[in-house]
Amino acid sequence: MKKIRAKSIAAALMAGVMLFGLAGCGAGDSSSGENTSSDNTITIWATGSDNVRQVYETLVDDFNTNSDYAGEYTAELQFMLSGTGTQSLTDMLVAAQQAGQTDTDYDLVDLGGDDLSNVVSRIGEDAFVKIDDSKIPNAEGIGAESTVATDYVQPYRGTTVVLAYDSEKVPNPPTTMDELVEWMEQNPGRFAYNAPGTGGAGDSFARTSVYNFLPEEAMTSDDTSWEEQWDEGFEFLKEIHQYMYSSGGSIVYPNKNQGTLDLLNQGEIDMCANWADMVLSQRAAGTLKDTIKITQIEPAFTGSLQSLAIPTFGSNEDGAYAFIDYMLSDDAQEILVKDMAAIPLVDTSDLDMTGFEDILNLDVNNFRIMSIGDLGTDFNQRWDSEIGTLN
Amino acid sequence: MHEIIVHSVPGKYKQRKGRKEMSKSLKQNLVVYGMVMPAFLVVMLTVAYPIVSAVIQSFQDSATGAFTLDNYMYFFTDEAQKSNLAYTLYIVIVTVVVAIVVAYLLALYLRFVKSRIAKAIGMLYLLPRFVPAMCAVYAMITIIRDTGLINRIGQLFGVNINLGMMYHASGIITMNLWFNIPFAAMMIAAGLGGIPDSIIEAASDVGAGKIKIFTSMILPLSIKDVIVAATFVFMSNVSSFTTPYLMGGNSPRMLGIALYDQFNRYLEYNRSAALSVIMFLICSVSAGVYIYTNLKENDWEK
Repeated sequence: MKKIRAKSIAAALMAGVMLFGLAGCGAGDSSSGENTSSDNTITIWATGSDNVRQVYETLVDDFNTNSDYAGEYTAELQFMLSGTGTQSLTDMLVAAQQAGQTDTDYDLVDLGGDDLSNVVSRIGEDAFVKIDDSKIPNAEGIGAESTVATDYVQPYRGTTVVLAYDSEKVPNPPTTMDELVEWMEQNPGRFAYNAPGTGGAGDSFARTSVYNFLPEEAMTSDDTSWEEQWDEGFEFLKEIHQYMYSSGGSIVYPNKNQGTLDLLNQGEIDMCANWADMVLSQRAAGTLKDTIKITQIEPAFTGSLQSLAIPTFGSNEDGAYAFIDYMLSDDAQEILVKDMAAIPLVDTSDLDMTGFEDILNLDVNNFRIMSIGDLGTDFNQRWDSEIGTLN
Repeated sequence: MHEIIVHSVPGKYKQRKGRKEMSKSLKQNLVVYGMVMPAFLVVMLTVAYPIVSAVIQSFQDSATGAFTLDNYMYFFTDEAQKSNLAYTLYIVIVTVVVAIVVAYLLALYLRFVKSRIAKAIGMLYLLPRFVPAMCAVYAMITIIRDTGLINRIGQLFGVNINLGMMYHASGIITMNLWFNIPFAAMMIAAGLGGIPDSIIEAASDVGAGKIKIFTSMILPLSIKDVIVAATFVFMSNVSSFTTPYLMGGNSPRMLGIALYDQFNRYLEYNRSAALSVIMFLICSVSAGVYIYTNLKENDWEK
């Protein structure tokens, strides 16, 4: 009897916990697309890590109080933290478009990289307003263009994978891939890249290593026939395998971008591939040593541009243009540099770049951009079975 | 019916009572079912249904949906996957054995030694239960990594200690022990606490030595808790994720990480389902041991 009672109490508790769980999931839906705003409110949708949320909150606040548009429009932020299991921004946009909604709160969305190509491949670039440059005075002189939906999105910041190194141990960093390999051979165990699929820096290193052997057009193609030409690149990755960081007697590719960055900071390696913004913002925050510097090699690692787009089913096109224009102002670009070490797209001579001088050497107009779609999954699988299993 | 009621008073009485009882028990049953129903439905919907659908998926071809055993064959034929399985079992079994032995010794010490140190340890050993797993793993990493605390202390004395525990099975096992020894010790200590001092005193009064008391009194009385603790440690480690993700190497990987790869990185949902079923079966071995021990104890109690 006692046992039965204990069982039913446990069952009831479990049910309660589960119901709470379900209610918790449901609560996130309060912000779905129906338009509830008045005419001068612009709702901006963004997604990403927490540092993106922080910088957006600063930007929205600045837009509402200090910018040329203060008083005229009020910006509101809807932010979705990535990796929390909720419906992603891309899914929400696709759903709203396919449901035939026309007057939604999706006034302006922040998209880039895979998210952008994902949305465009699912609902087409026509789902966004064709950018009218005359409505964005600050866009004049900005050369950076998105490779996907070029005329329909406005890039506002960039970042790229670079070679991060400890300048105390490597006074003269390599400038080309060949020099990098030569350096690895002379300093075995002092270089690392994170396992592809666990972070963009490792993806970029492995993919550019393979695609350096392929024609340039392959970089932006998801045609499976290119897979046949990966062999040479994978041979190259196998060759350099022996020079990678090792621990416990075997070669290791750490998980996540932060994994290699920690090794670099601890002095277990002297060089790694990593994101420029990650390195510089952590250095500015004091969690990375001051001696850690960044440089780009030739041929370059891949970079990406983050863009703003106006969905045709939004409800405040003029406001959206105003916010885009603000994002390309010197004030906003400086906030992006200071808060997230983003690479600004405007002329940097009017910006205060103290502490972020390294960014000046990275030219967004020469970014190598890669979009290979579903081939990425095959790539990771092949890497795991051919490179990850080597000892 | 009418006739019976007229002619047989005792029968009538009986029948009425029977009816009353029936409706009462029916009502009671309905109340009971009504109370259980929400929990039952939630469990069916969130536990039973996903399990059934995962099992079905694990036998389906990803493209055609036709019946196939390929998803399972893959995990028992692919070299990398076979070594993942062996690696996982190796780590889990070493963890279970070492954790249980150490935890048992610790529990014995806490139960039978009455000193200030024992009291202090008795309070401190529960602390790890309150440290978030992520913090604990990072704390361990900063200590054992090749440039970590141990290495730095060594360098003060001019020795360069490279433990090589990061990205290696030994690091994962160390971390698992950190998590599981307090947990197992807690369970075993609860069992040892139930052994009355009187029987031990009685045994030593009739001349039993310490070893004799242990082998014929304490061990048999606490073995059930030891086995239960072992099954819990086993199950929680088969599917562990955080520790091997942060501290493990690229190959072989523990099954939790292999499952994550199949599901999140390769998007192979049918293989993920098959691997989930395999992990479930591994765990059910230890669940079987757990149930068997419980039943056996009931037998003995008779």
